[in-house]
Amino acid sequence: MPMKSFPKLRPTAWDGLVALCVVLLAAALAFFQWRGETGDLTAVVSVDGTEVDRFSPDDLLEGPRTYTGGGYTLEVALSIDYEHPASSALPPSGQTGLRVAASDCPTQDCVHTGTITRSGQSIVCLPARIIVRLEGGKAEGGAVDAVLG
Amino acid sequence: MKLTTKQLTLCALLTAMALALSYLENLFPLSLAIPVPGVKLGLANIVTVFALWALGPGQTLLILLARCFLGSLFAGNLNALIFSLLGGLCALGTMVFLSRRRGLSLYGVSVGGAAAHNCGQIAAAVLTLGSAAPLYYLPVLLAVSLLTGGLTGLVSACLFQGARHTDLMKG
Repeated sequence: MPMKSFPKLRPTAWDGLVALCVVLLAAALAFFQWRGETGDLTAVVSVDGTEVDRFSPDDLLEGPRTYTGGGYTLEVALSIDYEHPASSALPPSGQTGLRVAASDCPTQDCVHTGTITRSGQSIVCLPARIIVRLEGGKAEGGAVDAVLG
Repeated sequence: MKLTTKQLTLCALLTAMALALSYLENLFPLSLAIPVPGVKLGLANIVTVFALWALGPGQTLLILLARCFLGSLFAGNLNALIFSLLGGLCALGTMVFLSRRRGLSLYGVSVGGAAAHNCGQIAAAVLTLGSAAPLYYLPVLLAVSLLTGGLTGLVSACLFQGARHTDLMKG
């Protein structure tokens, strides 16, 4: 059975053009999607495409909230190390961050995503089909961004 | 599409290899280093790249469909089917298009395929979750596809180099 054709095995300049296109597409998408604002934010939680909760991140000072979807449970918390409050990793002054503190989903991607602090940012848990998204916000000139995990 | 016994056997072997590679990449969870849902090495794309040149687009499509359906069946997770199917079909379509450009090597085709695979998976996530939120991860996934596509291209190039003198490569 003959081979249909034989490919080039060494990289060419045209390969670089393909890579450049991918980089430009990534940069353009990042530019339009990653410039959300901080400030007065609202957290919106959706399960299976349906909005189930909407709250100010400061409401989580009372304690984390749990959500269930697809047989898995996520615990959404303010960005504070509850076990070691003294060494808490709060976002800089004027910003509020959210994170998934715990989840029993198999991938744990939602937990590893870390803290979100800007409008438009979200934490997605595919197995649980849960999305935690920040909305609203207002520009704060010169504010320092939190480091995303 | 009429297949000879040898072609059918090769398709079955490549499907089994793709399934094994899909399982193998779970042992190297890239998401620990890059915490983004759906980020993977995409080792099964090595089989797609190889089959595209060795067997042609038609039989590569058969291998891809068999890999997606059997993979979801074995994992007991039919929800994953739409992700692997959309990702795989986008990757294959892009690879077929790029493989017909004379100037491109395996590396360019693999990088384009990896990027398209991630676009397909994000599209599946948007459809499944009913929200555009997963688009937020696409820039990271596209950047990662440069590495994973490059790796797929490297392994595929070694594979073709090693198989150059086998019966498969001889007219």
